[in-house]
Amino acid sequence: MSKIIVKSLKYKYPLTEALALNGLTFQIERGEFIGIIGRNGAGKSTLCAALSGLVPHFFKGAYGGSILIDGINVKESKLSDIARKVGIVFQNPFTQMTGAKDSVTEELAFGMENLAIPKTEMVRRIDDALRLLEIENLRDKNPFELSGGQMQRVAIASILVMLPEVIVLDEPTSQLDPQGTEEVFKAIKRLSNQGMTIIMVEHKTEKIAEYADRVMLLDQGQIVAFDPPAKLFSLSNLEERGVRPPVFTRVAKGLDIHDQVGLYPVTLESTVNEVQKVYESH
Amino acid sequence: MTSISLYVDKKSIVHDVDFLTKLIYCCVFIVAPIITGAVILGTFSFLVSLILIISAGALKKLMPIAALSLFVLLSVIIIQSAFIQGYHDVLFTIGPVHFYREGLIHASSIVVRFLDILLAFSLIVLTTHPADMVETLQRKGLSHRIGYVILSVFQIIPQMAQTMKTISDAQRSRGLETEGNIFIRAKAFLPLIGPVVINSLIGTRERAMALEARAFSAEVKHTYFRDEPVYRYKTPVRLILLLLLIVSIAWRLL
Amino acid sequence: MSKARNLWRVKLNTASIVLIPAAVAINYIGKLFAEALKLPLWLDSIGTIFAGIVGGPVLGALSGLINNIIYGLTLSPASAVYGIASIGIGVASGVLAHYGMVSKLWKVIVFGIIVALVSSIISVPLNYVYYGGQTGNIWGDAAFAFLNAHHVNVILSSFVDNILVDAPDKVVSAIVAFAVYRVLPKRLTILFDNSQETTTLD
Ligand SMILES: Nc1ncnc2c1ncn2[C@@H]1O[C@H](COP(=O)(O)OP(=O)(O)O)[C@@H](O)[C@H]1O
Ligand SMILES: [Mg+2]
Repeated sequence: MSKIIVKSLKYKYPLTEALALNGLTFQIERGEFIGIIGRNGAGKSTLCAALSGLVPHFFKGAYGGSILIDGINVKESKLSDIARKVGIVFQNPFTQMTGAKDSVTEELAFGMENLAIPKTEMVRRIDDALRLLEIENLRDKNPFELSGGQMQRVAIASILVMLPEVIVLDEPTSQLDPQGTEEVFKAIKRLSNQGMTIIMVEHKTEKIAEYADRVMLLDQGQIVAFDPPAKLFSLSNLEERGVRPPVFTRVAKGLDIHDQVGLYPVTLESTVNEVQKVYESH
Repeated sequence: MTSISLYVDKKSIVHDVDFLTKLIYCCVFIVAPIITGAVILGTFSFLVSLILIISAGALKKLMPIAALSLFVLLSVIIIQSAFIQGYHDVLFTIGPVHFYREGLIHASSIVVRFLDILLAFSLIVLTTHPADMVETLQRKGLSHRIGYVILSVFQIIPQMAQTMKTISDAQRSRGLETEGNIFIRAKAFLPLIGPVVINSLIGTRERAMALEARAFSAEVKHTYFRDEPVYRYKTPVRLILLLLLIVSIAWRLL
Repeated sequence: MSKARNLWRVKLNTASIVLIPAAVAINYIGKLFAEALKLPLWLDSIGTIFAGIVGGPVLGALSGLINNIIYGLTLSPASAVYGIASIGIGVASGVLAHYGMVSKLWKVIVFGIIVALVSSIISVPLNYVYYGGQTGNIWGDAAFAFLNAHHVNVILSSFVDNILVDAPDKVVSAIVAFAVYRVLPKRLTILFDNSQETTTLD
């Protein structure tokens, strides 16, 4: 059964002439980890906004085609109803804090208060989310006193407590230091292992290659390719599309090391494997 | 991050009183002296508020508030007693300026009324947690969107003050002159405030999106994570306050 | 007709709601900088004016009201009463912007003067109740004392006291708000426009 069904999705922001999304059709299965890549301005953030209903409900503009998530039509639904199905996390951890709560637990409770979840249930979900993201020690801290990586995990947790089935992450680590980045990736990996559907925009293609089941390459609001990482990163014209393949793939391409069907390795493990095969054959 | 809220986080019998009861207190203690028009009653209300603030351990935070009004009150006294036409009874003279008795009496009634209002409001603000105020009102029907706005200002202002410090240091190190004659200082205003303002406005887009992702626009009756504060003596206290109001109205009418 | 209805639309979108705390903070920062630079103006309504310009009179009014509630809760509990004048500033800004008063510098100056008139008309009775007619600003109060001493009636002196302080203040504030508005990308400010609707592409 398909979870997310997108049909000829088109979208134009107000006051603009060009289509930011130009006829996207694809499906995403339950529990998949999808990576989205593409140059600046390719339409990645716009697609994220469309999957979470911000396009068109927040941005307005002109909309065509449809997105069905678990049977509900995004265009016909209210943002608050979509929020129960799809959670979204942005780049800047700072602007994602509500700014109206002075402890992490209260910050997490915000979305549930809006959805009228009873207090006992709130407490249970908050405990679960804090544990899953390894931020139990921060529960009484003021959200604005946290480091970027901690704050971003609070942002993820505050989405998680609303129990969405899909989490969309738009460059969640682009404003974090290396340590914060590592913390956040670990957290995302854990969510994926729990069976959550994850859709992540990310420039660090090594991470995409490591985590994603499939990768979507966007350019000028259109899908160029939507394939498993090994296949996608083996494409020859990626640099022209503004994408740098993982460092392993670039090395392997340089040495012309590939598997039987001609795909280049994309992760450390697969590179080591292929190199070993080459050694053994000599 | 220091909060800009004036709330004094302590435990006292005044802190225990719920927000609505304090609000009723505030109204009665402002309205009653005005209705009766009796300066003595105004003085009395003002003293009661002062005693309550002291017993809540919040006197220290009251000082800056009071200091802020001191200058204004002083100028009220001077102008009302020396520069208003139609007074005759000169009380004393400093240089060319005569101070009139009637003016001084009038000024003192203004000062008392002012202090009465100031302290009654201060009592609420100093001893009630902002979130408790807002949530009490939300439970009584205040839109949660407005509630959000009020609470978020408390956090946003200190953040912006922080950014403001960073930016003004940066601009100064780039050679922006912030001292000198008034034109030089006025010219510095836009480069100083501009970046802070633009930054915060650009941030509103993502914050608004993040709020939508957390069902901010849901049209259901909310639940609350914070427990509602309960005050054991709320009924008798409110009744007494109401009685005070009725008595003062009766006093006026008789 | 529908244009006028849009002007007074009460249902605000989330972007507008989030703009209010930012507007209040801008007011606050303006005031802090004005004090730090020892300028003889308050400059504490730039945010309210900006909110009126981008979001219309309702958003302007709300920003003004919340601004003074917050001042009441943080600076001086008595200043909450002046919320009514702040509402006036926000409403006037929204209406004037709607009628195209923010396109050229001279228009922005007239804009500032009208806003000052509105806020003075509202402040005078409040000053009267509070301070017997004064504003608490040295220059304005000096004028008040002077006029009073020359037999001008209290209400009129009080009004002059107010407008002397308010007109330069609101003109400068309006210019700053206008400059910010011009710098920001239209794709951002349109989010505060509550009359936008989604259309259908095929
Ligand atoms: N709010 C907006 N208003 C108008 N155009 C926009 C807006 N946001 C993005 N765009 C335009 O839409 C296109 C896609 O942008 P975006 O989805 O942000 O790209 P990406 O996230 O891949 O960098 C770009 O051409 C961009 O300029
Ligand atoms: Mg983007």
